[in-house]
Formats: sequence, C-alpha cells, structure tokens
Amino acid sequence: MGVAMLPALSRAAGVAAPFALAVVIGAIVLAATGHEPLGVYGLMASEAFGGERRIAATLTAATPLLLTGLAAAVAFRSGIFNVGAEGCFYLGGMVAAVLGFALGDWPSVLLIPVALVGAAIVGGLWLVGPGVLRARLGVDEVVTTLMLNFIAVDLTSWLVNGPLLARGSANSATAPIAVGAELPRLLPPTTLHLGFVISLALVALYGLWSRFTVAGFRSRIVGLNARFSRAVGIHVSSTFLRMMVLSGLIGGLAGGIHALGLVHRFVAGFSPGYGFTGIAIALLGRNSALGIILAAIVFGALSSAGATMQLFSDVPIEIVEIMQGAVMIFAVAKFGFGQARGARA
Amino acid sequence: MIDPFIQAALLMTTPILLAAIGGLVNRIGGLVNIGLESMMLAGALVAVEVSAATGSVIAALAAAALIGGLIGLSMSLVVTRLQANEIIVGLGFSVAVAGLVRFVLKSAYGVSGTFNPPGVAMLPRINIPFVSDIPVLGAILSGQDGLTWFAWAMVPATAFLLHRTRAGLRLRATGAAEATVRAVGLSPLSIRDASTVFAGAMAGLAGAHLSIGVVGLFNEGITGGRGFIALAAFYFGRSAPWRTALGALLFGLFDAAQIRLQGHGAPAELVQMLPYLIVIIVLTGLGLADRSRVSERALS
Repeated sequence: MGVAMLPALSRAAGVAAPFALAVVIGAIVLAATGHEPLGVYGLMASEAFGGERRIAATLTAATPLLLTGLAAAVAFRSGIFNVGAEGCFYLGGMVAAVLGFALGDWPSVLLIPVALVGAAIVGGLWLVGPGVLRARLGVDEVVTTLMLNFIAVDLTSWLVNGPLLARGSANSATAPIAVGAELPRLLPPTTLHLGFVISLALVALYGLWSRFTVAGFRSRIVGLNARFSRAVGIHVSSTFLRMMVLSGLIGGLAGGIHALGLVHRFVAGFSPGYGFTGIAIALLGRNSALGIILAAIVFGALSSAGATMQLFSDVPIEIVEIMQGAVMIFAVAKFGFGQARGARA
Repeated sequence: MIDPFIQAALLMTTPILLAAIGGLVNRIGGLVNIGLESMMLAGALVAVEVSAATGSVIAALAAAALIGGLIGLSMSLVVTRLQANEIIVGLGFSVAVAGLVRFVLKSAYGVSGTFNPPGVAMLPRINIPFVSDIPVLGAILSGQDGLTWFAWAMVPATAFLLHRTRAGLRLRATGAAEATVRAVGLSPLSIRDASTVFAGAMAGLAGAHLSIGVVGLFNEGITGGRGFIALAAFYFGRSAPWRTALGALLFGLFDAAQIRLQGHGAPAELVQMLPYLIVIIVLTGLGLADRSRVSERALS
C-alpha cells in the first residue's frame, strides 16, 4: 500500500510544481511592479471561487478548455504532436454560428445537434491533411498544424469581413444565432450553459475509453512505442490518422459549443488562444481525464478571476497570461531525478 | 510606380529575414525556435524605450538584441537543461512574453496597446547619391536602413560560417550528431544554448526594425505573427541561408502586397495566409520527394 502511494505522490508533485512555479513568477512580476502579491492572489481566489456566481463563471470559463484540453490529450497519448486545435476551434465556431443562424426555424432538438455535429465534422476534416501527411509521408505534424492555425484564423476573419458579415454590422461578426440554437443556461442569472455538462461528459467518456477499451489501449501503445506496435501488428499510420482526425473533431466541437453556448455568433478573434491553453491542460493533466478536468478548472479560474479583478484593482489582467504561459513552460520541464541519462555534458 | 512597392517589400523583408536567419542557425544547432515571435515583441518594445530615453539608435539596437538574447537564453535553458519539449516551451514563451509586455505597458506607462513616447530616434535611411536616381536599382540599393544591409550581409556570412569554419562545423554536428560532439569533449547543450541566444538577438533586432525602423512607436500587435512567418521562411528554405532569404523576400513581398490591398478593400486576409499555405505545400513536396527517393532505392 505504502509503495503504491509513491508514484501517485510524485505524480501529484509533477502536476503541482509547474503551477507553483507559475505562482512564484507571477509574484515576482507583481512585486516588481509595486503590487502586493499575496493580496492579489487572495483577490483572485475569491473572484474565482467566492460564491455560487463566481464558481459558475469559473466553470463557464473552463468549458472550452475542457474540450481543447481533451483534443490535445487524444493526440498526444498516441504520440501525435497536434498543436492545431486552435484552428479547429475557429472553424467549428464559425460553422456552428452559421448553421445556428441559417437553420434558425428548425426546432432546437434538431438544430443544436446538427450545428454541433457540423462544427465537429469541419474540425475533423481540417486535420485530415496533416494526418495524411504524417501517416503517409512522415511530414512533421507540428509545423503543418501550427501553420493551419494561422490559415484558419485568416480564413474565418476574411469570411466574417466579407461573405458572412452580418448586414448592417460594422464590426467583423456574423449575424446572431437563432434563440432556438442557443444552448440552455444551467443557473439562469449566470452564463453557465449546457456545454459544460456536455464537455464534462465527453472527458469522462474519454477516461473510460482510454482505460477500458481495446482501441484506447492500442492508441496509447502506439504513442508509447510505435516500433513495438508495428511488430505486434497494430496499424500505426492508420492509428495516427484516426487520432488526428478525432482530435480535430473534438476541437471543432469545442468551438461549436462556445459559439452556441456563450458567444451566440462568430466574431473575429473568436478564441483568445483556447487551443494553445488546451495543450498546457493536456500536459499538466498528464492526458488523464481527471487531470484534464482539474487543469481546465484551474485555467478557467485564472481567466474568470482575471476578467473581474481588473474592475476592483489596478492589477492588469495580463498577469493571468503570464501565469498561463509559465505553467505551459514548466509543465513540460523535468525536475530533479530524471536526468541521469548523460544529458549533462 | 514600381519603386515604392520594391521599397516597401524590402522594408517588410528585413524583420522576417533577421529572425529567419536566427531561427535557421538555431535549428541547425538542434532547436526549433517557436518563440521567435516573443523575442521579436520584446525587442520592439525595448528598442522604443531605449531610443526615446537615450536618443541613440545604437543603444536601442544593442538593448533589443540583449533582451532577445536573454529571452532566448532562458528558453534554451528550459529546453536543454530541464529537457522540456521545445515546441511547448516556445508556445509558452509566446503567451507569457505577450502577457508580460502588455502588463508592463499598463503598469509602467499606464497605456494599453500603443506606447508612443516623445523623442524616439529612428533608424537612419542610407541614401546613395546618383544610384538613387536609377529606377528599380535605386529603389533596391538606396534609401535602406542599416539593419536591412546587415540582414542581407548576414546571408552569405551565415553560409560561410556554417560551412567553412570550425564553429559552423561544431554547430552542425550539435544538431546532427550530438553524441559525436560530446565524444570530442565539447558540450552540445552549451553550443545549442549559444545558437538560441544568437536567434534571440536576431529576433530582438527584427523587432527593433519594426518599431524604430518602420513605424516609430510600439504597438502590442506590431509583430503580427512575423516570428511565425520567419519560422515559415527557414522551413521554406530547408535551413539553407540563400533559400531562406528567398523565402523571407517572398513573404516580405506578400506583406507589402497585403498592406497595399487593405487600402483597396481587397481580401488582405487571404494574402496574409499565403506564407503559411506555401510552407505546407513545400513540406508536402519534400515529403513526396523523399518517398520517391526511398522507393527508387528499394527498387535498385
């Protein structure tokens, strides 16, 4: 029993260390600019978790991150370095918003699923290219998916400034979606919406899939050792392609839920980097379902606290970005024991 | 008619080329630098600050190169000493430094977005008498700033250093055969760190070119993804200096064209995405070429 606790403890430390370092870096930045770090962190904690409404705001902010984190995790565990969830998020959001407006006279029970499935499909299709290139030609998927993000942002921003610009609207946005396309609110005065439950359920489903199904096991083995997998007869390149597309489907769905649940239209600058934060979440959560949920709530808390903190103090909201970046940097760093492989030359 | 466009294209090529050469050297040393954008952004801000405070362009450029190099060093140390994944660390630096820059703007200068202090000394343009009167050639050679000349001089210099000097050999070996470098008693990790510091300094200069070479102020969106375009340029050039310069020039042309198009209501966003699209096409072509080479070998 005692021995079994050890890896669990070191795993917990591995998750806590990046976050603790980010807190320290944030404190240094705050102190250097004449703010009182403890006071600011206290305010952040109460803004994120103090009371039902604040918790609801944190969970709302965590909703897109649950799915972008899941999108990253699905790819990472199979050894695919997909950094393209951001692009899928943009395209999924745009497709759901357009369908939610164009099919506005459909009943909700039909309209919402159709819009979300449409968003997911477009996200999946978007990554077929990098998936095939990696599986068939061995083209580095990091570069292709990174480049596709910029293409998606430019493409959608062209569409909302041109062909899809809402009539009479000066800013870059589509028309608002029909009321029937909006995801129901869970705690009416707050913005927490059904998308949170859907996202949570999908992450839980992923937990079960990765633990208890053959496909889940196979995809992990491919990620751990592709040559071994090939030797035991697993079709590695088709697993790569499947997991890449699955990751894109989830990324697109994330954007669709964000459009139908919160924004209710598509605007230029639709995502403040949810796809990239999702990468940090998957890494911090070590690709496990529980880890993704916890990490998404932590990042959700950071951004919901940052958004309101500016109203009550003179601390710029960007402190949150600094901390998010720091978590990302240290989430992949190996501390202490691990480096006995002669890497220190 | 064509002259102003050539001028604009060369002007927009400079920051991309500077950062791309840095990224190229870094990649040859074994680190793909996704954080160029963050080093560029910091360099742009520091150049404006120092230029306004001292009135000296040289001091501003030195400070921009220094801050870029420092960010490069810290990024490199996390990657080489803590064995962190370079892609994630690079993205993390892009997020954190963008946040830090905006944080500093708000809390130190009380401005959001744009920082426009009085007395910013701009990079002087070098006009060459007589040559400036020749059409096309005059637009290419005359009226450029010192950083543009430096950037283009770095192309043959980098090619020479990489392939004709001991330092270049060591750098190439660090990227290609780390164990060999260790076996002859050198530290591949330190060599790699040095290459990242170089990349950071070049990206810092690229940022300085944008802020004190082009617009004369700092804006949080001033880099506009050019750090990633630089990445696209050295991927396009497959880490060869002249091919990378060609990529930077091509993307500089797009940049100038895109700025022109904005005035005419044409879809500038579609031009903006061309560099990224071209990189994917180039990588696909290379992948196809590799595969046919492999299958030829299998047949013979």
